[in-house]
Amino acid sequence: MSTFSGINAAQSALQAARAGIDVAGQNMNNLTTEGYTRQRVTLASVAPTGRIGMLASPTFSAGQGVAVTGIARLANEMLDQKVRSTAASAGFSYVRASALSGLEKSLNEPSTTGISAQLTDFWSSWQTLSNSPNSDAAAAVVIEEGTALAAQIKQGYTAVSSQWDSLRGNASLQTDELNAAAAQVAELNGMIRSALASGTPTNAMLDQRSMLTSSIATLARGTVTQNTDGTVDVLLGGNMLVSGTTANPVTLAGPRSIDGSGAGTNPDGTAGATAVQLEWASRPGAAIALDGGELGGAVSMLAPGGALASAANSYNAMATALTKKVNEGLAKGQTASGATDFFRLPTSGAAALGLTIIPTKASEIASRAIGGGALDGSIADKISLIGKQTDSPDALWSSTVTSIGATTKTELKLSVLADLAATSASTNQLANSSVDLDEENVNLLMSQQAYNAAARVLTTMDEMLDTLINRTGLVGR
Amino acid sequence: MITRVTSTTMMNSASRNMQSAAAELSRLQEKASTQKNISRPSDDPAGTAAALQVRADQKLNAQYTKNVQDGNEWLTTVDSTLSSVTALLQRANVLTVQGANDGALTPAAKETIAMELESIRDSLLAASNTQYAGRSVFAGTSDAGHAFTSPDYAYAGVKGSSVERRIGEGQTIRLDGDGAAIFGEGADSVFAALDAIAADLRAGVNIGPRITTVATHLTTVSSQQAVIGSRQATVLSAGETLLDAKVSLESRRVSIEDVDLAEIILDLKMQETAYQASLAVTARALQPTLMDFLS
Repeated sequence: MSTFSGINAAQSALQAARAGIDVAGQNMNNLTTEGYTRQRVTLASVAPTGRIGMLASPTFSAGQGVAVTGIARLANEMLDQKVRSTAASAGFSYVRASALSGLEKSLNEPSTTGISAQLTDFWSSWQTLSNSPNSDAAAAVVIEEGTALAAQIKQGYTAVSSQWDSLRGNASLQTDELNAAAAQVAELNGMIRSALASGTPTNAMLDQRSMLTSSIATLARGTVTQNTDGTVDVLLGGNMLVSGTTANPVTLAGPRSIDGSGAGTNPDGTAGATAVQLEWASRPGAAIALDGGELGGAVSMLAPGGALASAANSYNAMATALTKKVNEGLAKGQTASGATDFFRLPTSGAAALGLTIIPTKASEIASRAIGGGALDGSIADKISLIGKQTDSPDALWSSTVTSIGATTKTELKLSVLADLAATSASTNQLANSSVDLDEENVNLLMSQQAYNAAARVLTTMDEMLDTLINRTGLVGR
Repeated sequence: MITRVTSTTMMNSASRNMQSAAAELSRLQEKASTQKNISRPSDDPAGTAAALQVRADQKLNAQYTKNVQDGNEWLTTVDSTLSSVTALLQRANVLTVQGANDGALTPAAKETIAMELESIRDSLLAASNTQYAGRSVFAGTSDAGHAFTSPDYAYAGVKGSSVERRIGEGQTIRLDGDGAAIFGEGADSVFAALDAIAADLRAGVNIGPRITTVATHLTTVSSQQAVIGSRQATVLSAGETLLDAKVSLESRRVSIEDVDLAEIILDLKMQETAYQASLAVTARALQPTLMDFLS
């Protein structure tokens, strides 16, 4: 054992303590940094040098001090995995629940100004007309109420359609976000691989990549698989979104409007998708199956059979039913000109958008039965009773409102549950990886004490050498 | 498993708890300030359907109530007209009986009776053309503006037609008096009968046989008045039913849609306390770290 080996050992301890202080400092510095994972110095005691040869002294050796073997990043892949999968479900439910909440708000029910109230006003006005069939004032009220009803149906349809548009626009932005995140993951993969090869620290890059994969999971439930060279692959619907250092871009294809128009054509000339779907840019026309994530939620809401499209169809069905019922009822009546229709549906496009009222005065409304007197209003009376029929527009509307309400209620509950799961997963992850001030303070103190102790060892060594060099052999001088 | 607790997780859970307490507080505040149990369909989908139904029923009730009021006015007009018609016909009956006393009356006296009968006929004609709100109450659904005109006394109304008001979902009531049935038509009408009596008186023909004619008309009018009276009773009782229904509909609407004030205020107070507690607890829990005790 060499004379100075103790000094070397103490010096390694000083270095180790300093590294400990540095890392504790780094942790405290990043107390509030998003995505930061706490780090620890990993230390290992250095074994004594081997004794070789017959002349090696048989004395024991304590070892050569301590070595800093690395700075560990205290992440747990399983917890991260859990965070990603719950975030995907939470994102899916969140988009659906908020779209449905918006939809149900646009219904404006129950209220004194909603479509339901307007329908009742409309039927009531027919009663008034039936009481005084020749009154232009009563007819004007019927026409006004009818116009207001048509306007409300149109407004409701427009609200749903613009909600669809904004959801589509949002999904398009999220697709860009997904592509950007995938490209960054691919780039980080390359950087991490070469950093690992050259031995440079990768912790900060790993933190960044972990945040990106989480956001990919939130967007579209991308699943992550770890490769041996330090890179990760991200799979979307079973295919590679990120494979090593390559990212495969996706596009959002399909109609541009709720009525299914604007799908365009694929580059190969085939017609674009009939439903909004996520596709690989390299394989247009083939939908990626999304079972989660915000994009998955948006795509499911935008589908032709989704809640928004059904609501829009309900408005169209309302307009059609209203026209059919009222016009059929009035066909039993008579007017001077012989024309009896009250509502007119548009010849093309959405029925809810083009519903118009034909008559302009009392004599043009067929409130009088064929063969009845000039002041007969029995047909108008029959029209006023339509609202009570089982297949009336009122019943249609009521069932639409109820079913949207029930769907929204379920989806809100699901969203709350998914949120709880995501919160608990994220709490578990943070509990493992976040920085705790108390703990870092303790680590800081320990490192400081270790530094002091190492310094003390050094002083002792120094005193020993001083004794050996300066005081030895001076006896009797 | 003992979860590791760090400053970050404590901070996160504190802010999450405060957030959820604040969200609940805001939800209760909305309820308390709007006084509405259901402000959107998802609050209570089944309740929403019931609320829509009740509101529609309330509007219908209001419309039927208007119809009942209108119908009552109509029937009152018809009824009071028929009362005066009865009085006129009773007078005509007396005059006819007087005029039948051939021996006791001079031609001048007969002329006086004839003239009074003619004036009664004019009054009856005016009564038969009584209008309510611009419509002849005895002319059915006709828009002619009158029911009878001299000299042919033809009925201007549409025969078999009736003016009806809906006073309930499955209930309508007839408002007009059937002019043809009450006054008779053309040569068979009460007007023509009075004309004939006056002519007989002037011509010196005994009017004894005509006494029954006038009496028959009188009976017809009385029985028609009884019909009108019973209709009016129906309308009034329908009005009362509607009033009862109005009260019960409103109480149903309130029970479906509106909040229980006492309950909501209690909930709100409790939530306020919970929120303040979470604020206070957070303020205490987040303060100290080891740093506060190191020197």
